[in-house]
Amino acid sequence: MTKLSRRRFLKLAGAGAGAMGLYKLGLEEAVQETFAQSQRGQEPEREEVRVPSVCGLCPAGCGILVRVIEGRAVKIEGNPLNPNNQGRLCPKGQAGLQLLYNPDRIKGPLRRVGERGSGEWESVSWDKALGLVAEKLKEMRGEGQPHSLVFMHGAKPGLIHNLIARFGQAFGTPNVVEVPSSTASESASLVHYLMQGWRAPSGYDWTNTNYVLSFGSAFLESRQPIVKMLQAYSRLRRGRPDHRSRIVQVESRFSVTAAKADEWIPIEPGTEGALALSMARVIVEEGLYDRDFIENHTFGFEDWIDEDGREHIGLKTLVLRSYSPRAVAAVVGVPVETIRRIAREFAVTRPAVALGDVSWQTNGLFSQMAIHALNALVGSIDVPGGIIRQEDPPFAPWPLTVEDSVTSQGLAMPRLDHAGTRKYPLADGVYEALPESILADDPYPVNAIFLYQANPLFHSPEPDWFYRAFQRVPLIISFSSFVDDSTSYSDLVLPDHTYLEGWSDDVLVPSLGYPVLGLGQPVVQPLYDTKNTGDVLIELAQELGGTVAESFPWQSFEGLLRFRLRDIFEAGRGSIVTDTFDQFWDEFQERGVWSAPPYRFGDWERVLATPSGKFEFYSQNLEHTLEAVTAREAAEKGTTAEEEMEKMLQELGLQARGDELHVPHYEFPRWVGEETEYPFHLNVYELMSLLDGRLANLPWLQEIAGLHIKEMWSNWVEINPETAKERGIADGDLVWVESLVGRIQAKARLYPGAMPEVVNMPLGQGHMAHGRWAKGRGANPKRIIGNEFDYLGGLATWSSTRVRIYKA
Amino acid sequence: MPRWGMVIDLDKCTACQACTVACLAENNVPWAEPEEAALGRAIFWQDVITDVEGEYPRVRARFTPRPCQHCEEPPCVKVCPVRATYKDEEGLVLQRYERCIGCRYCAVACPYGVRYFNWYEPQWPEPLDQLLNPDEGPPPETRGGRSGPEIRPKGIVEKCTFCVHRLEKARHEAEEAGKDLTDEELVLLPACNQTCPASARYFGDLDDPESTVSRLAESSRAFKLLEDLGTEPKVIYLKAGG
Repeated sequence: MTKLSRRRFLKLAGAGAGAMGLYKLGLEEAVQETFAQSQRGQEPEREEVRVPSVCGLCPAGCGILVRVIEGRAVKIEGNPLNPNNQGRLCPKGQAGLQLLYNPDRIKGPLRRVGERGSGEWESVSWDKALGLVAEKLKEMRGEGQPHSLVFMHGAKPGLIHNLIARFGQAFGTPNVVEVPSSTASESASLVHYLMQGWRAPSGYDWTNTNYVLSFGSAFLESRQPIVKMLQAYSRLRRGRPDHRSRIVQVESRFSVTAAKADEWIPIEPGTEGALALSMARVIVEEGLYDRDFIENHTFGFEDWIDEDGREHIGLKTLVLRSYSPRAVAAVVGVPVETIRRIAREFAVTRPAVALGDVSWQTNGLFSQMAIHALNALVGSIDVPGGIIRQEDPPFAPWPLTVEDSVTSQGLAMPRLDHAGTRKYPLADGVYEALPESILADDPYPVNAIFLYQANPLFHSPEPDWFYRAFQRVPLIISFSSFVDDSTSYSDLVLPDHTYLEGWSDDVLVPSLGYPVLGLGQPVVQPLYDTKNTGDVLIELAQELGGTVAESFPWQSFEGLLRFRLRDIFEAGRGSIVTDTFDQFWDEFQERGVWSAPPYRFGDWERVLATPSGKFEFYSQNLEHTLEAVTAREAAEKGTTAEEEMEKMLQELGLQARGDELHVPHYEFPRWVGEETEYPFHLNVYELMSLLDGRLANLPWLQEIAGLHIKEMWSNWVEINPETAKERGIADGDLVWVESLVGRIQAKARLYPGAMPEVVNMPLGQGHMAHGRWAKGRGANPKRIIGNEFDYLGGLATWSSTRVRIYKA
Repeated sequence: MPRWGMVIDLDKCTACQACTVACLAENNVPWAEPEEAALGRAIFWQDVITDVEGEYPRVRARFTPRPCQHCEEPPCVKVCPVRATYKDEEGLVLQRYERCIGCRYCAVACPYGVRYFNWYEPQWPEPLDQLLNPDEGPPPETRGGRSGPEIRPKGIVEKCTFCVHRLEKARHEAEEAGKDLTDEELVLLPACNQTCPASARYFGDLDDPESTVSRLAESSRAFKLLEDLGTEPKVIYLKAGG
């Protein structure tokens, strides 16, 4: 700490330290004590510092300044130097100290002694715990089974993410699987890959945007980086004198975002793509599109002829052939005139931006493509006020991993989640597909699961599948700081520091465009016998020896961090430019952030990295991926690629064929449960406070959970008042929400913002573990959500389940 | 002598409740366990009030962040039998914890519902007590009682102070440095304002015609809550919408 303190701007404050004892003494005595001190003129000095770091409550990467007095962290505030949040924080960030000082934290390595889930543990030393893991890992490699390790990890960006991938690579397992943060950016990432050639969420230049058309994006509640989104909202409203941007929210729920928008357009769940295409048609029909952008920077707008002389249809023909507002209106439940009006407004109030978060439906990917096509039609790609591509910090490249034959053979094994195969052709990882493979040893048994910031027993659809799968796996190791749902079923816990106790970095979730890197540094001494998971992985790799150790030539996570920063220092650009690396490192710690503004518009090679070098309405990346997958299958089976393609499309349940498949189009959504038996759509959503539920153990956030419905400490089901009346349900009644998969109990809340055929439930409650404030509170809607997925991306689709409702 | 006031722009506000939690953290406000919360005993010096109206599909919702209004004519002060609550010379409505007898007349009299009674001893199970802010309100000899983030015992009423302890501290530091507090520094001084992601909140001297709050108070969008009661609130809202 002394080493750090030297670099922090250190301050000795003279205010009475007597107050520190206030809460321990009775108030009366304490006041007298302080009084006596000040009368004696004694004002003991106390050491007070503000330590810059990064927030760890969500992956967004906001900068923080932590007020530390005598080694205690007493308040978290935003770091004004971090351009991501400019000194501001959301309520989660403000509650961070309840994570650090949470009484339910794990205090050191634990080994299970009772039955799994019994909560009976014994403390073990780190030496002993790491010895046990290393022994098991060596055994797996010794038997030529490195692929039988599954490493599930959360969506934390930055170095730890890369390090986990590298660990899998060096150890020899293809089964490193991300459990994505459910805030829906995955499908947008995929769409950017299909239409622009890079796989990441986009950034936005909010400074000049005049019109925001949001399809299901609760961007004031759950979109990341949330503080930047809230700042953007404020700017759109009052950032320019006499100019108030218009915001239209298309959503199957009257969210806080819908309430703050100028107009709420309720829509039939799963039909957003049809609406977007219908708007595209109006824009095309009325000639309102950006001709210059379409001509110079897009591919597949007009019909075209390929090298072999075959004719293909373009987006223009497709939308003119189908998607008339008249035909679409009935499907989406939006009046014809509204469709036309919004389309025109969007096209003429430029720069306009279409936002989409519709991946929680099986057709989400194509809907997202249709929404993104609107951005291209009005020329909002990489222009001021439009959509931009986030630039990463110029990290030093990783040295290649070293492979021995065990590693190579392991990596050559098929992935257990079938990502990238005919089942999920465009997927990077499909964690919700793991249980089926694990239960069937398909195609091989799993010997160990590592869990890092991943809690599948809570977060997956129908989590019972994971419970059963866990029973089949001999060793489950968790790196969690808390005994959460999945950790409670593990065999060994190697607890991580919390974000305020160790080193980390945080690459900005795409937003500003220019690169931003936040530094997480130890704000206080670790409270307990915990270790940075990054350090643990390095230690394990070295313990394994051979090529695995060679692939990890660093002494510590901090050392690795410094190694990766070297190129940023050498680039000599951005907010920290110094003569030596040590100076760079010192200044980075003092500022807590490095950034390199401004964003440079119009770098088309970077922004449009598709095969055609253009924005592709007709996605060649999609076409090529599907062709490659089917060609591989055909070669293996000795069939023709055409046969395999048809088979795959049928299995995926896709209706489109030929050109249409590669162009934004509407696919009918799939539902879990028949409408006749389950008349309501179950529409789940994330709250500002609890997100996906990992923060349900923080009482200050539990207290603010349900602002719009005046609820706290629980969850509820929002029902349209008329619908409830028909079913004899009164406000506050306990009801069963039942799907094909199961049923849960919840408090009915009559809410005029619920559509008549849609019931809404927030996610985040219903933990079976995770500490005193989270456990047994409310119900977890995921327990009744069927395991449905996006056609191509393999993403769990949380709002595909139908339910019925009746009084409990 | 300054007259402290606050402006909240409802057109910028996103109802995120960062202000609410920043206030809890700054002022050592404990959470209410769910059973207590169900009895209406949760304490929020800075709550966000929700108002949903209309029928599907024509629904409207208003969200109003609501700190103490620091009235010029505070009804709470008039009813306090022991002068525990008072308006100081700079217009802050404060609560002397030592004097409060817990009769709750003030909580009944306040039309804004910003006064909270402590129904039980605050619980800070170890090591959560580590996060407590050791700052204090102004010394008792100057204001006649403690009224800052000090832990409040069971049986007394507490309320928003506009972060008076932060104000005193900033003033003290400015004095030491031989400077005046600038309007810019004041705007973000309370913890709620400092964190507001939408920059929707402003603090400052309403008697200084050049201050940000004074200028915003002149806006055609400006209004006050329950103005007709004659309480003369010093929190001014700016209406949402174009």
